[in-house]
Amino acid sequence: MPIAAAPALLLIAISLWEVCAARHDATAVPDDGAWQAAAQRVRAEARPGDLIVFAPAWIDPVGRWQLGDLIPIAMAGRMDAARYGRIWELAIRGAHAPETAGLVPVASAEHDGIAIRRYERAPAIVVGDVLDRVASATGGRPSLELAEVGFEPHRCLQISPPPGAPLRLTFPAFPLGTTLVGYVGIADVFTRRDVRSPVQLEVELGGRVIASATAGVDDGWVRFAAATAAGAADLTFVLSARDAGRRLCFAAEARQ
Amino acid sequence: MTETTATPRTRWTRRAIGAALALIATILVLVEQRNVGIARDEVVYMQAGAGYADWWLGLITFDHGIREHNITLTFGGPGATDHNREHPPVMKTLFGLSDKLLHRKLGVVDEVTAFRLPSAAMHGVAVALVYALALGLWGLAEAIVAALLLMLLPRALFHAGLACFDAPTMTLWLATVYAYLRALDGRRWPWQVGVLWGLALGTKHTALLLPFALGAHYLIVAWRARPAGTWRVQAAAIIGYRWRVIVSLAVLGPLTLYVVWPWLWFDPIHHVRDWLAFHTNHVHYNYEYLGHNWNAPRFPWHVALVTTLFTVPAATLAAALIGAGVWLARPRPAHGAVLLLALSAAASIGPFVLGTTPIFGAEKHWMPVLPTICLAAAVGAVWAARAVAAAISAVPARIAIAVVAGCVVLASVVETQVAEPYALTWYNTLAGGAPGAADLGMNRQFWGVAMRGVLPVLVEQGAPATPGARTYVYTHDAAPAWGMYQRLGLVPPTLLDAGWEQTGIDRSQLAVVIHERHFNRHDYLIWKSYGTVQPSFVLRSAGVPIVSLYRRPR
Repeated sequence: MPIAAAPALLLIAISLWEVCAARHDATAVPDDGAWQAAAQRVRAEARPGDLIVFAPAWIDPVGRWQLGDLIPIAMAGRMDAARYGRIWELAIRGAHAPETAGLVPVASAEHDGIAIRRYERAPAIVVGDVLDRVASATGGRPSLELAEVGFEPHRCLQISPPPGAPLRLTFPAFPLGTTLVGYVGIADVFTRRDVRSPVQLEVELGGRVIASATAGVDDGWVRFAAATAAGAADLTFVLSARDAGRRLCFAAEARQ
Repeated sequence: MTETTATPRTRWTRRAIGAALALIATILVLVEQRNVGIARDEVVYMQAGAGYADWWLGLITFDHGIREHNITLTFGGPGATDHNREHPPVMKTLFGLSDKLLHRKLGVVDEVTAFRLPSAAMHGVAVALVYALALGLWGLAEAIVAALLLMLLPRALFHAGLACFDAPTMTLWLATVYAYLRALDGRRWPWQVGVLWGLALGTKHTALLLPFALGAHYLIVAWRARPAGTWRVQAAAIIGYRWRVIVSLAVLGPLTLYVVWPWLWFDPIHHVRDWLAFHTNHVHYNYEYLGHNWNAPRFPWHVALVTTLFTVPAATLAAALIGAGVWLARPRPAHGAVLLLALSAAASIGPFVLGTTPIFGAEKHWMPVLPTICLAAAVGAVWAARAVAAAISAVPARIAIAVVAGCVVLASVVETQVAEPYALTWYNTLAGGAPGAADLGMNRQFWGVAMRGVLPVLVEQGAPATPGARTYVYTHDAAPAWGMYQRLGLVPPTLLDAGWEQTGIDRSQLAVVIHERHFNRHDYLIWKSYGTVQPSFVLRSAGVPIVSLYRRPR
């Protein structure tokens, strides 16, 4: 075959590949039947309180359509996955949910392109949660919200600190364990677009800063953590924003 | 046989082929748009266009004269978006006239189709222009292939099916380029180029970029043609090379814009300044690109390039690469036509490399690049086929062209078939189709057009428990189109739009989220109000969620 035919053959090959691949791409995602079968499998074995996650994230609406009745709002809007001892992961296209990173499945199966994996681990034992103690907070009046932070749902305490003047929010006699873990971010995509400055959070215990975090408009849900001594103590969150109207959103829990 | 040496019969045959391709393109758009939902902005353009058409009809029937007051009430107002004064009126006026004639008077098409028909017809014109350009510069085979490839671009086909400006802008941009190219023959009255540019300006502000391409081209071809002599002689020769073309653009362009836009008839400088200021200060809408939600500059320099790479069929891109190689290797056609096509593409897409130009409309904002790609693809495919025929004597050139170009066109056919009616969710097979693009974090859609697909389920789930009982629906991004969906009979009058945001959601029994990444917040607002995270239905395109429907638990 003369070399002169190479461009034509290349074009024919690319075209035919595209003809086949385009059709394949359009039908590559598992259909309703596959999802129903996968959901049935999870329903048969899931226990109340099991965390159910979907991967990749864009398939989440389909997963919730099939299994949303097993996902309470508090679970969907969780701070993180640490308090869940059993996790069901339904995944397609070889994806993994961030909640299962580093875990090894104890059981796995596949239904027409949907991988069903179950993970088990020792859950974090939560001894104190700021979301449960919003009424006891002094120094400000945050609201308990299900907010969009980094395009994800998070139950959090939301408050707008006055610009340039740190707001001190104290939870008296807060029960502590060995660690305090929390997250902070800026709620609402439109305020993040219109005002670009970050927010800061510091955690004070006994007059000493034990953790801090800065959340910018593109940072999402930013983690902070500190070691603590078990027992009750006044826990203070110092919340700062340079601009007005920043919807600072945070959650924190003390773990045994 | 070139166009100039063809017999009259051949010339007529070729014109008939071009006309047939244009007609097929128009019909294809009209057929495809039937399942495309009503875009949020479309409703605004339709309403404004209906008003503009009424005004012009009133003027020519002497119902009213030309008064600042009645022009302001129709075309403008004190607010930046009053009567959609931020966009010039040419296409909107045609939308309104089409509705009046084809829907309201003759009743031959439904309301939405009538509004959309001018845009569809303009797409047919674009196909005809590409055909004519290729026929004049290369030949019949290239012309047919270029026209088919343009006709079968999934995203372009989608945009042409909306009563919006993006596809018509591509047409008028190309028409101006074509007229300019022809005007370089030294004709005495090159009025067409100025008038067409004026119409392009009267369609969308992006036509302001066109003089960068035409100006650069003019300087280059004039430089090439300059005589020997002093720099004064050469400068005079360059400026005067085809000075009437310059005059046509400089005078007739703005004049045409002025004539077609009554809002400029009073206080034109102020109104032009407002028009341009609106776009130079335009809010940055949210746009997902490679996994990141972009709503503030600086944007990645490669948005336009990667998006084009993923939204033009791969075979067309491959053929265009070969065509570009052919263009570089061969002597250039008359008047630097290839250079002009390249400059046209660069002027169209160039601003999006800067990192500050709004990117939210994606490929629709740089659609004038598409004719250049399709022309290059046609040249590349036909050249590759002829190379086979030249090397292998047993293979006739016609057969080789039919096979090679046929395969390239077939790939576009399949991509188009896969893409419609949710072409904004579609990406080509280089991206892995819609699912692959979702993996990559490419923008899912915009303007709420996917609502159309969920309406049958919504109507079923919203069926009244007792006859005539009202059901409130949180219609999300489709709220502006709701009344039109009702008039089309796609939604019964018992399903009412519940209103905006949390108030609307709290009032509703059914709620819709049209998925874009920054719209996730609407899911969460619904979860709070409905007490569940479980949708009652999820509409998908190629498996990718595009609309979630929620039903309030009883």
